[in-house]
Amino acid sequence: MKKLSRIVLLLTGAMSLCASAQAQSPIKKFQGMWSDPPATILGRFCASQCTDVGIERLNALVDDPANDSRPISALQTDAANYSTEKYLRPRLTDAALKNYPLDPADDPSFLRCEPYGFARQIISRHQLEIRQVANDRLDFHYGEWDIHRTIYLDGRKRPADAPSTMMGFSVGHWEGETLVIEASGIRANIAPWGTLHSDQIHVVERYTRSTDGKTLTLSATIEDPWSLRQPLVIKHIWGWRPDQTIAAYDQCEIPKEFKKRGTNQ
Amino acid sequence: MRLLSASLAVSATLLICPRTALPHHSFAPVYDDQKTITVSGVVTQFRFVNPHAMMYMNVTDASGKVTKWIVEFAGRLNLSNVGWTEQSIKAGENVTVTGNPTHTGSERIYFKKLVRADGTVLLPAGSQDLDALEQERRQRAQQRNQSQPATQQQKK
Repeated sequence: MKKLSRIVLLLTGAMSLCASAQAQSPIKKFQGMWSDPPATILGRFCASQCTDVGIERLNALVDDPANDSRPISALQTDAANYSTEKYLRPRLTDAALKNYPLDPADDPSFLRCEPYGFARQIISRHQLEIRQVANDRLDFHYGEWDIHRTIYLDGRKRPADAPSTMMGFSVGHWEGETLVIEASGIRANIAPWGTLHSDQIHVVERYTRSTDGKTLTLSATIEDPWSLRQPLVIKHIWGWRPDQTIAAYDQCEIPKEFKKRGTNQ
Repeated sequence: MRLLSASLAVSATLLICPRTALPHHSFAPVYDDQKTITVSGVVTQFRFVNPHAMMYMNVTDASGKVTKWIVEFAGRLNLSNVGWTEQSIKAGENVTVTGNPTHTGSERIYFKKLVRADGTVLLPAGSQDLDALEQERRQRAQQRNQSQPATQQQKK
């Protein structure tokens, strides 16, 4: 009887420890539906992807009285172009620059309705639903292409002989209230910066939630010796939208007519 | 035809470049953003789907000949963000649509504005956001203008 009481006590203790750990886990602040960012100058600038260089430029343009009569969309475009020329382009290797920027008519997502690869998917617009589906893993569900991605939280290593895949292999951990994910094993594909990337791409994602809980920001540090001379840091902002659900993404049509860049057909 | 997935050029420009009302799926290979056309007709079907909502309509010319047109929109989520539903456009409605034509001049258009027979207007998602962004900018300018005299006073 004593033995049984001890076991029950131990089990109860273990369970309360687990419950306490879960209650303290920052995942609770991340779980749920994130979608388009709030309609703010910064939010809309980073609704797809942005850089610190671009944000800084945009703020300077907005705060310059000389631009008060220009539409905000023109300032956003200027800031984005500045980021491209001053930050992105100098980081591209000669190999990447050969076909830069790629022709949208060559995009397999357009031509063949192929879902995005990892690099474009993690900054895809609209919805990202985050769920802890087991103690050792999270599920990231992207509305764009209705794609699921598993993030392991148990520190496991990617098997050495594992082939590269479209969404790669992701392992995450918490640094305070920041979710840090390292992704590798990603198949060569189209990069969101307008070039191809190789299967040597390695990405460290850092997700932080704003103190008011209204936004989630991703800062992704991307390395790829084939396409990038030095790491590239891009950002994306989502807004908290618990009212939304992810709808079917199943009506993609193969294009019947399109024009390649610089041609008449 | 579905309008492309994440465009390369759009992606590159987006690092980049958030033009609020521009479709994020690749647009350039199919549509000419330098031109707009307007067509009027009767809706035969509205499909509220991803990645892009589609509308089909019959357009009758002066001689009475009926041509089938396709209108392409942003995706379901984009549109639902500004209150659209499957019922936003109904079969049998008379509508006038303005948008970008295709490069080939085919009977297809990318939606920019739709006017119903009763005069009500549907606009793309994003157009309302621009008002909020301009308001934020005006507030920043106002704060800047208010703080400048004080700063200049301190310098003196």
